[in-house]
Amino acid sequence: MRKVVQCDRSPQPVAVAVGVTIVVAMATFSACQTPPRPPSDLIAKGKNLFFNETFKGNGRTCGTCHRAEANLSINPAFIATLPPNDPLFVAEFNPDLKKNFENPKLMRQFALILENLDGFEDLEKQFVMRGVPHVLSLRTSVNSPQGPRTGWSGDGAPGDGSLRSFATGAVIQHFPKTLNRVAGVDFRLPTAEELDALEAFQLSLGRQQDVTLPLPLKGIVPKRGQEIFLDNSLGKCNLCHSNAGATANLGGGNIGNANFNTGVETLPDQPADLTGELVPPDDGFGKPGDGTFNTPPLVEAADTGPFFHNNAIETIEGAVAFYDGESFNNSPAGHTLAAADPEGVGIELDGTQIVAIAAFLRVMNALENIRQSIELLEASAQKRFMERQQAKELLKRAITETGDSIRVLKGGGLHPQAVAHLKKAKELAEDAACSIFSRHRLTEQAIEEQKNARNELVESSPARS
Amino acid sequence: MLKVLMQIGVIVAGLGGMTYAHGQQMTEMFIPVGQSPGVSDKSSLIGTIDSMDEKNRTVTVSAQSGVQTVGLTNRTKIWLDRSLLKAPNQSGTSADLQKGRKIEVKLEQGERKQVAEWVKVQLTEPGAGPGAAAK
Ligand code: HEC
Ligand code: HEC
Repeated sequence: MRKVVQCDRSPQPVAVAVGVTIVVAMATFSACQTPPRPPSDLIAKGKNLFFNETFKGNGRTCGTCHRAEANLSINPAFIATLPPNDPLFVAEFNPDLKKNFENPKLMRQFALILENLDGFEDLEKQFVMRGVPHVLSLRTSVNSPQGPRTGWSGDGAPGDGSLRSFATGAVIQHFPKTLNRVAGVDFRLPTAEELDALEAFQLSLGRQQDVTLPLPLKGIVPKRGQEIFLDNSLGKCNLCHSNAGATANLGGGNIGNANFNTGVETLPDQPADLTGELVPPDDGFGKPGDGTFNTPPLVEAADTGPFFHNNAIETIEGAVAFYDGESFNNSPAGHTLAAADPEGVGIELDGTQIVAIAAFLRVMNALENIRQSIELLEASAQKRFMERQQAKELLKRAITETGDSIRVLKGGGLHPQAVAHLKKAKELAEDAACSIFSRHRLTEQAIEEQKNARNELVESSPARS
Repeated sequence: MLKVLMQIGVIVAGLGGMTYAHGQQMTEMFIPVGQSPGVSDKSSLIGTIDSMDEKNRTVTVSAQSGVQTVGLTNRTKIWLDRSLLKAPNQSGTSADLQKGRKIEVKLEQGERKQVAEWVKVQLTEPGAGPGAAAK
């Protein structure tokens, strides 16, 4: 029997717990210094805006698409659990937004969102369909020497193009009551203070710094996957996803978060195209576009599919296999890699190697989920009796993360012993959430089980607590 | 190998890896004059239009900081801010840059001459629309 976390009748929105990672110091992954953090009240204000503020629009909030319970992204399986009046579906029940605002079919089947990235002149034909990226580890994944890069093509924000300004564009694109999009009528724009708070909250989410690879992994397949990932003459992944993050290092030093044309748009049989719905080509950065897209971080990837800007590939194995295919190797990026290769090869991987890289990405993701779970559990353990409601919210968040860890490892047939510890950790956290007098003890035990799971994945080192 | 990869850096740069990432999402057109985040409060030119020189493609703006003449190129986007009229903003043309109207100009970065990346003209008279002046 599956245990239900809801043990009383006063469920609190899970959303409230998500920003908590900020309060506790980063312990695991890397021994570097933690960057300075904005005051926690600003972050709390931003969290409240992100999940609750509709900006006098159509009822959506940022959290409508960047779901707290779905790693700040959204996917078809999660969408299937939502009631028909969820504001995600405004285009289905608000007559003013029925046409040219979303494509409900593509939204429900593939979690694709309509965006007018090339302008609002021809709403009927001029749009792109994109997946919802998670907004985790933004502190590591937005900056480049040429300026900030937000969104799948790196040019998502109006104003100065910064992460802070992104929210203004999101309100105009996703929140209007009608397609007139008149400020003050169809929505209100975020104020300067609200933009500050939203930015502070978003920067507080997930990792605050990149991992340093290689990690002393224990599993032989993930370990081999890591080697291939890091091998600049075999997997070549690390050139663009340095340390499994979002910055590129092509040999001349780190060039920050960069854009590349890797040929995802040219993939044959893309799921959205198979529906017969109109899916105009997405030309990437700029207008007219130059065909390039922005590099996402990979530590967070395994539990945030479907993958790529168009959600074209459902599984992490499939996403890795993309690089062995025609679309990548015939792309400008593929040609460039081939030109620099002594044997003229772009990226060529065999089945075992594809699965090994995916196994590595699964383990990286599980380690990050374990890190977050431990933070949440520790924060929860610090809550006193009077704060037990907050403690419970933190526990629920840890339970969700742990569920992800289990799924990600099991999905790759990886580390059954770690999975057993994680299942135990999840049960303990569920029990803690329902317990009045044993909450502390059970939470501490859950933390122990998380650490046991981690010790199955990676050699313990002094840098790791 | 390192040297070869440095070369990739250069080639990839040519592929768009290093394109300047200014905020160019099209939602900008719906942001009223004076409210563009990180722009209106920092670097844009806000004032009233003194004159529009169609021949030289320049607009002269009277701002608090003084009078300034700015060039328009065929890349410059011109938007009509009709939010005070509670009407949707639209794309406009240089014919809409009429004396006395409130204007906001975002200058292109890194240009030697003062060149506009975008221009927003605020419309306050009902009935004013794209190119109304030319008719
Ligand atoms: C209707 C769904 C939806 C809503 C509501 C929404 N977003 Fe998004 N978000 C998206 C999609 C789709 C993208 C990808 C956009 C692109 O590629 O240009 C995105 C991208 C982003 C990114 C870029 C992340 C990155 O890695 O570069 C940020 C930041 C973001 N959203 C923040 C917000 C904020 C803040 C709000 C609320 C003001 C919001 N979003 C509301 C769907 C949504
Ligand atoms: C030339 C640079 C480059 C190289 C080399 C590269 N990537 Fe990528 N990667 C990108 C870009 C750019 C994207 C986004 C593409 C898009 O959505 O159109 C991406 C996206 C991804 C995604 C999807 C992430 C998500 O959240 O949707 C995965 C997974 C991925 N890459 C894994 C790899 C692996 C594994 C390798 C090595 C086999 C690799 N990449 C090599 C640039 C690169």
